[in-house]
Amino acid sequence: MQTFAIEALSWPDNGADLRRQVRTLVADHVHPANPADRTNCWAVADPAFSRTLAAAGLLGMTWPKEYGGHERSPLERYIVLEELLAAGAPVGAHWIADRQTGTLLLRYGHEEERRRWVPGMARGEIFACIGLSEPNAGSDLAAVRTTARRDGDGWVIDGQKVWTTNAHNAHVMIALIRSEEGSERNAGLSQFIIPMDTPGLTVRPILDLTGGHDFNEIFFDNVRLPGTALLGVEGEGWKQATAELSLERSGPERYLSCLTLLTELIRAVGPEPSDCVRALIGQLVSETWTLRLMSASVAAQIAQGHDPALEATIVKDLGNSFEQAMPALIQAAVETDLSSDAALPIMLGHLLQVSPSFSLRGGTREILKGIIARGLGLR
Amino acid sequence: MNDQQHMLSDMADGLFAGLGPSATMEAHWSQIEALALSSLLLPEEAGGFGGTWQDALIVFRLAGYHALSLPVAEAAIAARLAAGTGLEGRGTIASRTDGTVEGDCFTGAVHGAVMSEGADFIVAPGPQGGSFLVATAGGERTPSVNLAGESRDVWHFESVPVAHVTENVFVMGAFARVAQIAGALDAALAMSVRYVNERKQFGRPLAKFQAVQQSLATFACEAAAANCAAMGLAQALDRGNAHYEVAAAKLRANRAVGIGTSAAHQAHGAIGFTQEYALHPITRRLWSARSEFGGDSHWAALLGGRVAAAGADRFWADLTALTD
Ligand SMILES: Cc1cc2nc3c(=O)[nH]c(=O)nc-3n(C[C@H](O)[C@H](O)[C@H](O)COP(=O)(O)OP(=O)(O)OC[C@H]3O[C@@H](n4cnc5c(N)ncnc54)[C@H](O)[C@@H]3O)c2cc1C
Repeated sequence: MQTFAIEALSWPDNGADLRRQVRTLVADHVHPANPADRTNCWAVADPAFSRTLAAAGLLGMTWPKEYGGHERSPLERYIVLEELLAAGAPVGAHWIADRQTGTLLLRYGHEEERRRWVPGMARGEIFACIGLSEPNAGSDLAAVRTTARRDGDGWVIDGQKVWTTNAHNAHVMIALIRSEEGSERNAGLSQFIIPMDTPGLTVRPILDLTGGHDFNEIFFDNVRLPGTALLGVEGEGWKQATAELSLERSGPERYLSCLTLLTELIRAVGPEPSDCVRALIGQLVSETWTLRLMSASVAAQIAQGHDPALEATIVKDLGNSFEQAMPALIQAAVETDLSSDAALPIMLGHLLQVSPSFSLRGGTREILKGIIARGLGLR
Repeated sequence: MNDQQHMLSDMADGLFAGLGPSATMEAHWSQIEALALSSLLLPEEAGGFGGTWQDALIVFRLAGYHALSLPVAEAAIAARLAAGTGLEGRGTIASRTDGTVEGDCFTGAVHGAVMSEGADFIVAPGPQGGSFLVATAGGERTPSVNLAGESRDVWHFESVPVAHVTENVFVMGAFARVAQIAGALDAALAMSVRYVNERKQFGRPLAKFQAVQQSLATFACEAAAANCAAMGLAQALDRGNAHYEVAAAKLRANRAVGIGTSAAHQAHGAIGFTQEYALHPITRRLWSARSEFGGDSHWAALLGGRVAAAGADRFWADLTALTD
């Protein structure tokens, strides 16, 4: 039994150059006033930085040139992502568009919609959000009740989405919607591409427990869409959304949200820390090293055209557990005054509060383990 | 895997599955010799197979998977290190040296020599780095065993001649254990999955209970991590210097041992706790391997110390430079 395909990985030859490019760009542009903004940085939106990345050719890297992309390899893109995350750069504005919305549009979208949205995404001007969850459809995603009904050539949407990250910055959403009246569970669902400024669509903020504003609730009241808004095949929404989740779960952000905290710990304790802190750093570095190999190997398999859904799930689960364990381990190993304004306590305090969400967003720990159990032949 | 590696894998898998934890040197070592597995890592110029560390991973991992009680990994590492030293026959490796080397003369003890009865020479960590090779003919053996009953002898030497090599047997030994841990965890996982699908309680297979599923899913993640760590280390050894990776990989594999063995025993209930059942040859080897060639405190201090000394601004750059 081997649950993880462990092919040896070959990194692109130009990796070091690409890293240098990203590091220079980050050094020139990223100087957050609040050190907390360097943690969980793929939830930190900075549209100006997104445009800077785009101008450097670092958004839409794998997309066709015809749509504003740069036709780079998936591993080159992987290197850029891990550099940005490791540095704690504010990539939240464009993250979803670059990771999944653009790719999905290119795969399934009507030509008109692709032309309308994808080049802007590659320029860092069009941002996106994900419309999956609803009040009564969380882990049980097949329970979605937002409806689309045909109206002439177009569609009319009614219902509600919730926990929609980045909706307040986004120009467009891909949503999973029940398009067949009376259908049940995962049948009769379709995906739609919905401009956020469509009349009848309302975005309301939901503040998180720190008072931060990342996610929102969305109301659809008689929202009219053209026929081209249907993404892919009518009724195939479940299958497409599952493929979307592979993109959503497999990236390096699933283990790197807290890396800047580890870096800050190393800075704070200096070159000769106590035995206990030294051992902790050793353990955390070991986990980082291993997860990096696992995460990159998933990226490499995707690059070869495979769908390593099981491997991606394993990496997300391990990654989330690591990210969640790290703040508490650091809090235990070094005496910190969480009311102080030094960088380490600020970052630590922020992550202690937000890290519980890491094993919820993108699929909960229990749901992921259920997928792994199925892969093992237990269900 | 390339074609040659598939062949190597099939060959080792078939042989080790038949031999398993009850094989003995007297009765079965000749079968290992017949396939020349001990010259796996010996360069072709020296008459060996010229295998890479990734080839070795395949064989060592399968030795762990089948709880093989023969020193295949140790013989292969010893043979590689003996190339050009004039030492011949079956070699094995030891994990600790307690003594002094003056010039080409050693006085002291080596510990943890693996199945060294009847071995011709031992490779041990050099007190000042690197490794040294010593013929068993000039020493005295005190037999000892680890938790799994595997021979780990102590040897005493009094002013005997040794040969020095710069390559580090401790690192290679740690690699062997990481590879074996990876294989053994996969075997214990497979055994657990099979068992919970067969065993019924409350009128259905244990596998249908979500608590059981989630526990084995956690185990699968750990087994995956150990296997990836083993591959990362093999690749690093093939590139050359693996001082960073060996620490990272052994630490990660060691962590997986704790989570994996407890999940495996929990899933098996009382039957897994019996001498008759085939789980303990795997789990007792895993608990032993966690200490052999460096436990957590050794490798964590080394890796943590190195990263701290390099400083925060080198941390990520050094990590990525390992593969660029
Ligand atoms: C920070 C953050 C950002 C998010 N962003 C988005 C977004 O952009 N777009 C979007 O669509 N959604 C988003 N989500 C929502 C996220 O996908 C859901 O939170 C998640 O799917 C879980 O749904 P729920 O919150 O309704 O919890 P529930 O499904 O009610 O689950 C509550 C608990 O019960 C457990 N549970 C549920 N079912 C089972 C079962 N069958 N077996 C065992 N345990 C079970 C869960 O694992 C969880 O621990 C976000 C969530 C967070 C926290």
